[in-house]
Amino acid sequence: MALQTDRPWAQPLIGLTVWLLGWGGLVALDSEDALANQALVLVATAALATRFLPAWASGITAVLAVAAFNWNFVPPRNSFTVDLRQHAALLLTLLVVIWTIAALMDRQRRLARSAQEQARRESHLRQWADVLQQCQRPEDLAQALARELAGCFRAHDRANTRAFGDHTRMVTGLIKGPASTLADTQAYFSGSCTAEQRAGLLLCQTECRPLGPGTGRYEQQADLFLPLRHGGQAWGATLIKQAATENLDAATLHHLQALCDLTGQALQRRVEQAEAQALRDLAREHLLRNTLLTAVAHDHRTPLATILGAASSLVDQGERLTGAQRSALAQGIMLEAQGLARLTDNTLQLARLDASGLNLNCDWQSAEELVGSVVQQARRRHPQRRIKVYAEPNLPLLWCDATLVSQALDNLLDNALKYSGADTPVEVSARALAARIVLAVSDRGPGVPLAWQDRIFEPYVRVPPTARPAEPLRQGTAGPQPKGAGLGLALCRAVALAHGVTLRQRPREQGGSIFELEWPVREQPEQPT
Amino acid sequence: MSPIVQLKVLLVEDDRELRTTLAQALRVEGHEVHTAASVADARAQLQQSLRDGGTPMDLVLLDLGLPDGDGQELLADCRARRHLPLIVISAGGSEPRKIELLDAGADDYLVKPFGIGELLARMRVAVRHRGQVVNPAVTHWQRDALEVDLSTRRVLKDGTLVHLTPTEFELLARLVRCAGQVVTHRRLLADVWGPEAVEQTQYLRLYMAQLRTKLESSPAEPRYLLTEVGVGYRIVEGLATP
Repeated sequence: MALQTDRPWAQPLIGLTVWLLGWGGLVALDSEDALANQALVLVATAALATRFLPAWASGITAVLAVAAFNWNFVPPRNSFTVDLRQHAALLLTLLVVIWTIAALMDRQRRLARSAQEQARRESHLRQWADVLQQCQRPEDLAQALARELAGCFRAHDRANTRAFGDHTRMVTGLIKGPASTLADTQAYFSGSCTAEQRAGLLLCQTECRPLGPGTGRYEQQADLFLPLRHGGQAWGATLIKQAATENLDAATLHHLQALCDLTGQALQRRVEQAEAQALRDLAREHLLRNTLLTAVAHDHRTPLATILGAASSLVDQGERLTGAQRSALAQGIMLEAQGLARLTDNTLQLARLDASGLNLNCDWQSAEELVGSVVQQARRRHPQRRIKVYAEPNLPLLWCDATLVSQALDNLLDNALKYSGADTPVEVSARALAARIVLAVSDRGPGVPLAWQDRIFEPYVRVPPTARPAEPLRQGTAGPQPKGAGLGLALCRAVALAHGVTLRQRPREQGGSIFELEWPVREQPEQPT
Repeated sequence: MSPIVQLKVLLVEDDRELRTTLAQALRVEGHEVHTAASVADARAQLQQSLRDGGTPMDLVLLDLGLPDGDGQELLADCRARRHLPLIVISAGGSEPRKIELLDAGADDYLVKPFGIGELLARMRVAVRHRGQVVNPAVTHWQRDALEVDLSTRRVLKDGTLVHLTPTEFELLARLVRCAGQVVTHRRLLADVWGPEAVEQTQYLRLYMAQLRTKLESSPAEPRYLLTEVGVGYRIVEGLATP
């Protein structure tokens, strides 16, 4: 598709001007013996003019010019007859030379134009390959191809006032097959087309051959179908409506097919990437599942052992135990069972959150309610501990999954209670800071050693007693290892990640730690008037 | 303490150990317990209890993990005859089915593992409110320093009149009519703002916060207006019986 210049009449006008100037030169040189010079001037003028005139125009002007030369300058003047035989030869030679120059010039121009065209197409294909890299989904690729093809046609028909470059003429179809890039739908069409055209797209894709005018198959069709080929199969097909009216030449068809093939290659890459990602996800899930199963086997056994021990003691030795002893055993069973329930919940949620494709059940929640209910539950479990709660009034609403956030806060609070002394207070708060809402749990425990600050968030990691700093208020060692499998903080981090918010831990000024969940403030929903 | 009422309870639970444990615990309290291991069995027993001309059931305890279907049909049966209270027992987590049943008319819920004390308390409340949301048994509610009178539409805190907007009062009244039982978000929104508002959870957050500010001495640690995370709200049982 040659590019038309903006002003197609400019070149011939220059050519004619050259002729006129040349003629002026001939007249100026006119004298008795100047015929040879004039002949050369004529040739020079013709050579210059053919640069600007199309071949047929050069041919005709050459004949006219030679005839006029004959009439005006070759003796006898003002007649077409020729005196000497060498003058006839001269005229003939002039004509032949001018025609030769015109022909050579024309050939040169055509070669240059086709080389330019080739370079342009190659650069176009390179650009197109770059554009394809940017597209993420197969649907985007299809849309981009349709637009690109429309762009090609628009350039071709710039002289035309009709809107041939309308991209609704191009429809790219991706039909789900054994090697499909589409996630859910059976087929995707970038534009509208009739059922017949859809059938054509399907045929084109399955057969991996182009159909329509100029392709050698179904020539009588008005529409052109091109497959998006790569690696021996078609990943989609493109429909160009009413292509027959375009009279596309072989080179153009080849170029369009090249565009389509690059698109096919991009689609194939998408499939490969998706498959690789799926394999990676599967491997991760397997790894996680193995970790959790091992942990469950180990960490659920311990409380179960205690429960079994206490229960069997009640069964076998019941009559020999005092009321107080029986009550203590029963209490122990209750406590261990509660701990086991919490461990089970954490394990399950952690597994769910780490698996890909989790849907959070989010809604507008009140930060005050979340911290309040968590504290209330904790007070029931630990009636002797000091647990404070503070919620700033008029906090913006949080958009989150209440159950998960509750569980995370509960874990943080449970941790704080476990790792701080029985006489120290623990506080749960909800505050607004700049454009963020911060839910925090703070304690006056020994704090987290610097080396462990990131590791504590990994599953099944717990700071061993030797690594924990000695509590200044207590004498002797830091005490026995508190119960728990070390899942609580891992779950908190998983909840934070799932919501896209930050969970951080930092030491407090006068000892202890503070764990903070920080939420950006969302645009608040409308309230009733 | 109010006297324990002897109830005829239908326990629908497919796990044998749990069924035995619960049934025994309830019998110790003096209740007559019938058990079923499936929805079909439960429905059959319900029909039979009505046909015999003997005493009908007083309460149904329904576990959600049953093999032969969710409890929707059973719930419909309970609603159809007379208002038979139904308490849902769920395995935990945020189960949408539990909320669906609560929205559809189940009276309350319990999450496994639960203590017997909690079960008995919920049972007592459910029977007390049996089918009386329209003509509520509770028209006067009092607990410690807080007093709500539904007939005169007055709320007193420490003897002082508290001014509530009409919407705030409607919300409070809806909770008081079911005092001790949970009311789901959807039911609250539907009853106070109308059926087209059932998705507007933010209304509840705002108005409950306002109620807590006006009625609770410490809004972040409510003693009366409790939040059931992910489910709804509950006002504690009043101490003065009507």
